[in-house]
Amino acid sequence: MKNSTLLFRSLLVIVFIAGGAHLVTYASQNSPQNFNSYDDTTSVNSAEKTSQYTINNETDYIVGKWIVKYNEKEFKGSILYEIQKEGNKFNAYTVSYLDKVGHSEKAKKTKTLSITSFDGYKGKGIYEIEYEGEIYDVDCTIDMVDENTFQLSYNYYEYNGFETWKKQ
Amino acid sequence: MIEFLSKKIDWIDIEYWFYIFNDLSLLYIIVPFFVVELIRYAFLKRLNKDLVLDSIANVITFGAFLIIEITLGILAITKVYFWIHHHFSLPHLELNLTTIIACIILADFAYYWEHRMMHRIGIGWATHTVHHSSPHFNMSVAYRFGPFDAILPIAFSLPLVMLGFDPILVLLSEVFVQVFQTLLHTEIIGKLTKPVEYIFNTPSHHRVHHGSNRQYWDKNYAGIFIIWDRLLGTFEPEVEKVVYGISEPLNSVNPVKVFFHGIARFFRKLKQINGIKNKLLAFIKPPDWMPKNDTIYESK
Repeated sequence: MKNSTLLFRSLLVIVFIAGGAHLVTYASQNSPQNFNSYDDTTSVNSAEKTSQYTINNETDYIVGKWIVKYNEKEFKGSILYEIQKEGNKFNAYTVSYLDKVGHSEKAKKTKTLSITSFDGYKGKGIYEIEYEGEIYDVDCTIDMVDENTFQLSYNYYEYNGFETWKKQ
Repeated sequence: MIEFLSKKIDWIDIEYWFYIFNDLSLLYIIVPFFVVELIRYAFLKRLNKDLVLDSIANVITFGAFLIIEITLGILAITKVYFWIHHHFSLPHLELNLTTIIACIILADFAYYWEHRMMHRIGIGWATHTVHHSSPHFNMSVAYRFGPFDAILPIAFSLPLVMLGFDPILVLLSEVFVQVFQTLLHTEIIGKLTKPVEYIFNTPSHHRVHHGSNRQYWDKNYAGIFIIWDRLLGTFEPEVEKVVYGISEPLNSVNPVKVFFHGIARFFRKLKQINGIKNKLLAFIKPPDWMPKNDTIYESK
């Protein structure tokens, strides 16, 4: 078989299969139902968002400010987040950073956590982590310990992360 | 339909299923099947010292291969793959049923080409000849690897990462293809039904691949789908009884000799070639290539 035929047939296989995978992903992301997506906007008009959801007393208590302590090489201190309800999802945004001695610095409002499902006790979502300068979206789970504490855990390949969020 | 095909799948589920297919298959299918093969050998009065030592040598070469693979894995996969994925990749594909199936099919296609290169370039055959050098054909032969068998696949899996597939998914898919291939190394299973034989690689097709009969040389490179061979002109059905091994038999069950004999033969060939240019060409030319006026080697 001629080399040009081998090349042409091989390229056809690659374009057909990889193209199919990209098309399905593209279609799902642009579908009106948007099966998997979550809102990626980094700034939020709270008034506009809150008007779109219905009140659910079993889950809405998660809305509010939460603080998380970190004691890692890259950052030692705390971060204050604010969880807001947007549509039927909950999103957490950074509010401020606190260093070890309590100095506070306002943070750029960035969406860090998107809770895609939550039943009042357990939930699932997508958490944004930074590793070696790159930002990764990883799947995470939420387990409520009590009304004022929940544990967020994620598994990124072999790396397991675990955080305790305390209500402010 | 699109909802089903594009439903996002969690990493934990992907790892779970690949763990069952890739890792646990050794326990629930490969080892039990090998035991059945040994019983069959005993029943046919073919279970002898040479076969047992050959099988042990196969497992030892796998251990040596694994050390190289793990070292390369740490260096290549965590660094090069991710670097390529973040800097030279099409938009990243999310993890759903479509992308997982597409990744496995493309990993299989990459395996076809990588395997073909292993047979058709000098340095490739120098390492891959180890896998073909056993005069037996059973599950343990699937674990008979050469020293560089882990290197060439990297060049063929990087394009998958560049197409937007997650590097770890690519790696898991490659292992899946290898595990499927492992199951084909048996004489117990004859020919399967026609549709299966037409689409999938089967023990019959793979026996041909391991044949030293002249018409079986460099045929049936496929991993999972034999359609790649049909499409690219390298398919050969099993007709004549297969004689396993290589044209220049090794006649040894010494694991060290088994593991390094391809490289040793390649260096002996290089010694016979005059000129740097010709020596370098020997790495990428077919295994039977020799400059004019020199001896011609055979490839299998």
